[in-house]
Amino acid sequence: MHPVLAIAAGQAPEPQAATDAAGTVFDAGDVIIKHVANGEHPLIHLPTLWGIDFSVTKHVFMLWFVAAIVFTTVTVLVRRFLAQPRLVPSLPMNFLEAGVEFIRDDVVLPNVGKKWLTAWTPLLLTFFAFILTANAIGLVPIFDVLGLLDHYVLHTPENSFLQHLIHGGTTATGNFNVTAGLAIVTFMAIIVAGTKAHGFIGHWKNLVPGGLPWLLYLLMVPLEILSMFVRPFALTMRLAANMTGGHIALLVMLSFVFIVAGLAGSWIAGVGVGLVVSVPLAAALSGLEIIVVLVQAYVFTLLSAVFIGMAIHSHH
Amino acid sequence: MILTYAGAAIGMGLAVIGAGIGIGRLASGTAEGIARQPSAAPQITVATNLSLFLLEGVAILGLVFCLVIVFLIKS
Repeated sequence: MHPVLAIAAGQAPEPQAATDAAGTVFDAGDVIIKHVANGEHPLIHLPTLWGIDFSVTKHVFMLWFVAAIVFTTVTVLVRRFLAQPRLVPSLPMNFLEAGVEFIRDDVVLPNVGKKWLTAWTPLLLTFFAFILTANAIGLVPIFDVLGLLDHYVLHTPENSFLQHLIHGGTTATGNFNVTAGLAIVTFMAIIVAGTKAHGFIGHWKNLVPGGLPWLLYLLMVPLEILSMFVRPFALTMRLAANMTGGHIALLVMLSFVFIVAGLAGSWIAGVGVGLVVSVPLAAALSGLEIIVVLVQAYVFTLLSAVFIGMAIHSHH
Repeated sequence: MILTYAGAAIGMGLAVIGAGIGIGRLASGTAEGIARQPSAAPQITVATNLSLFLLEGVAILGLVFCLVIVFLIKS
């Protein structure tokens, strides 16, 4: 059984996880990578069309799950608020309104300007809500709890949907393919924003400033085209690496317990190390992770707003 | 094989040193600016935010490429 779940269940890890005697050694790297990556078995097998395997893996499932949560929460809150005869916000609606006003007034408005505010606020709000929720779900160990439930209570067969569901990491935005998808949306949004503000030719002409000697153009045009692609790439890697790195650091802290137990040969040493070193450090790291979750969602939204604003106001 | 790991580790260390120096200078400039003109604190903060995140992104890019070296180069 997953050694972390054993500790979480309040019992000693099984002997095979603690000593070499039973034959299997705790392989920290393997456990960590399996806990953060996409999961080896797809949840729903779909056919391979045109060379792309469309099977639903764990991160795809988390994408849909997060989208459903964000959609239902926001829609239900706002519909219920607007259906009242006198508009009095309830407590969750207050939070939602504070968040929306924060993004609209402090992130979108200074960068995009009043003229295009209503055009670009929905996209940036969607980015913020989706990325915040997707990041935060990685901190909630709900699928590990489901795994415990499955192991002790339900005993589903080996290849069931539930068994495949509990393997792999739940942070969809820790997968660089997911964040690449979001960054591609930003890439398209930059081009669309520049086109709507200055016309199709105008947007591309605004990439380089006018009136320079032609030798400088030879340098600047490839540089600007390169930077056009590097910015979404940096957005991708920033979000994915921040999310994955935090989880890996947390798992390394918790793995000390099992590594020490394996070295010392008894589980008491492991539990001792856990109580004194691992669990406090892991708690502190989780607190830091909460900050990182909020900041990374804000940074993605802010940078998208800045790039869109740069495409709109590029005639200065 | 050892050289691959050593190279990646040294690269990661250098990337973090670069980020530390850069962000430290940004922070010092911001603190000094706010100390001279406390009423301009929001504008100074906004001007610092963007460079901060871009610099952090560059550092993370460096770390990720070092990770690629460790995991994806078959020797």
